[in-house]
Amino acid sequence: MADLRTIPLLWDELVDAHGNPRPAAAALVERLRAMDIEELQQRQGLAEVDIVALGITFTVYHDGKGTDRAWPMDIVPRVIGASEWARIERGLKQRLSALNRFIDDVYHDRKIVADGVFPDELLQDSVNLRPECAGISPKFGVWAHICGSDLVRDADGVVYVLEDNLRVPSGASYLLQNRAISKRAFADLFERQSILPVDDYPDHLRRLLVSLASDELQGVRHPQVVVLTPGVYNSAYFEHAFLAQQMGVPLVEGADLFVDTSNRVWMRTIDGPKPVDVIYRRIDDQFLDPEVFRKDSHLGVPGLMRSWCSGNVAIANAPGAGVADDKVVYAWAPDFIRYYLDEEPLLPNVPTYRCLYDDELDYVVEHAGELVLKPANESGGYGLTIGSAATEAQLAAAIAAIRADPRNWVAQPILKLSTAPTLCAGELAPRHVDLRPFVLSGRDTYVTMGGLTRVALVDGSLVVNSSQGGGSKDTWVVEDS
Amino acid sequence: MLLSRVAERLYWAARYLERAEGTARIVREHSNVIVDLPLTIPPNWGHLLGITGGHEGFDERYEGADEASIVSFLVADPMNHGSVYSSIGHARDNLRTCRDILPTQAWNAVNDLYLVAVRGAADGIQRRHRSRFLEKVIAEHQRLLGILTTTMSRDEAYTMLRLGRHIERGDMVTRVLDVRAGLLLGERPERAELYDDLQWSSVLRSLSALQMYNRRAAKGAGAVEVIRFILGEGTFPRSVAYCLAGAQSSARELPLSESVLAACRAALLELSSSDPNALLDAAQLHSKADRLQIAIGAINDRIAGAYFGHTAWPS
Repeated sequence: MADLRTIPLLWDELVDAHGNPRPAAAALVERLRAMDIEELQQRQGLAEVDIVALGITFTVYHDGKGTDRAWPMDIVPRVIGASEWARIERGLKQRLSALNRFIDDVYHDRKIVADGVFPDELLQDSVNLRPECAGISPKFGVWAHICGSDLVRDADGVVYVLEDNLRVPSGASYLLQNRAISKRAFADLFERQSILPVDDYPDHLRRLLVSLASDELQGVRHPQVVVLTPGVYNSAYFEHAFLAQQMGVPLVEGADLFVDTSNRVWMRTIDGPKPVDVIYRRIDDQFLDPEVFRKDSHLGVPGLMRSWCSGNVAIANAPGAGVADDKVVYAWAPDFIRYYLDEEPLLPNVPTYRCLYDDELDYVVEHAGELVLKPANESGGYGLTIGSAATEAQLAAAIAAIRADPRNWVAQPILKLSTAPTLCAGELAPRHVDLRPFVLSGRDTYVTMGGLTRVALVDGSLVVNSSQGGGSKDTWVVEDS
Repeated sequence: MLLSRVAERLYWAARYLERAEGTARIVREHSNVIVDLPLTIPPNWGHLLGITGGHEGFDERYEGADEASIVSFLVADPMNHGSVYSSIGHARDNLRTCRDILPTQAWNAVNDLYLVAVRGAADGIQRRHRSRFLEKVIAEHQRLLGILTTTMSRDEAYTMLRLGRHIERGDMVTRVLDVRAGLLLGERPERAELYDDLQWSSVLRSLSALQMYNRRAAKGAGAVEVIRFILGEGTFPRSVAYCLAGAQSSARELPLSESVLAACRAALLELSSSDPNALLDAAQLHSKADRLQIAIGAINDRIAGAYFGHTAWPS
């Protein structure tokens, strides 16, 4: 096969600028070069058959009826060396520890505001702040138990945290499924080198959830954990079912649960009501409890907040954890690390201009054409403007929106996202990638080995979201030889 | 522990899957026997509609009760909720929301079955592809049952599937008997009796019962013996007696099952209350089948009442 193509001046995850394999990727690159493109395409074809047969799907809504699509996966993996990964893992643990301290502080004394490190006005109109959570103390002081942080690598090889998903991050099941598929596609390579396993994620998740149950249950009964899904029409339903199955706990919908007058949560079974102790919820705060949040929600459970506030049930992630999942609050994450942990951040933030401040706003307006303009609370890549790709009119509209509501906007330099060789239209072509590892926080912290690599399948595109035509790859953390 | 909602979906998934397989067997057998009958006995496709739930939805969308229309309606029609294609789709929809309960392989098998239906149903109605397609449906469902039998714990979820399967199969068997045997016992074209052995064998074959019947009876397919076998042969898994006993033993495994067990007892009593010789008359047989269907329907209603949370819950 011809050499793996790269894009000049961009970082490729498998080969360097001279076309030499990066050390951790040596075995894979050798294998790819020894293979002709037809064989690779054949393996990709078999993988796609497996994906359909295994029913690995996600749901899209563009057509208005929610259609299941086969999960898009490129079989050429992305490789990271174990020593580099160890550094990233330490950085993520540090970051989550600080973010959880911040959330806990927000709902208690707000020392960080009193000490002048974080501006009070950002809390005043934060859409993800839940005043109902004030004074609540979840076990271990942890609010964001499950976090999916998006990491990107710039042209200079530095890995940055792009955002922290602290509400109901998804993707962990696809990470596991991608591994199952890639083990079949590259069985020989799994035998020849040490690719660190990812399959223990459900075990860690279950242990974490069990540990969140009230201490009063000790010696009384084994805590009952459930996964709460909005239902089969949610785009991540496959994942909810998969994780429940892997953990061996019931997958429940809101209507399966009820809260009694003594604020206890029960599930409706064929043998009458049974108590529930821990809820891994995959429903947004706003839909959790119609007594407290959106009254029209049929997805949640009336009285759930009462039960949580009385300490009768644990909810992961805790209601209100999203206060730290905000593209504006993000800009302060390095300050949280310094303030709460008295450490320097191990993983850098992407430099972020906060339109809240006049001088930074002026810079953003002047340099809009070189920046990515991001609203605070959109996800899935919606609502952002990439300055270099926008028309004059689009830029003007974005600037007007920023001026109208500067607190809710930030801007970042346009990163030159790293690439990885991806099978596209009969050749291996460089395509932009990011990485979403999952971090579990409880008594201690666990980080998945690698994460879900997402890839923009369209040439030159930076949008990796599966809802917008992105694909995925398995991520190999390879022991350095 | 089994959620009421999940119990309901498992029960109905099992019913839909059993219905798909049952319908596939009936259509396959009918396609086979038709070619053996002389031209003086006109092929009667219309009565198949009676087996699978009537003319509802058929008359407005099809010109006449010819082979192509009937087979299309029963096998491939997405507008017919009871078609093989729709039944498999409904089963998959129900099981999609029980994936945390099913063994992974079982879900894969459901998907395979669904893909067989999606890809094959349109071609499967043509005579030359039909047997192969229907056999594929039957085989894929059997594979699913094999996976469930060998990999799923005998817990409440399994029992709920088993319950649904027995109720649906029992119901289906009474319909086959009612319609097909009813035709043989009613008014018929001249000299049709020459083909009676062939036709009674075909009734048995619609239920995949011929081989087991022959081993048991060893004297050819006579009307009384066939009716006795299909209703009362407790060792044969596609008899009404076996299905009712299966439903009863399933219910015994479940909590709070008194009302369901009472309905099972009533249905077994109805089953054993007539002499097969008294059923050698189309009207008698029809009314017997009717009473059995009502009794099976009563079991179904008791199951829904006891387990699916439609009754009031404490709060």
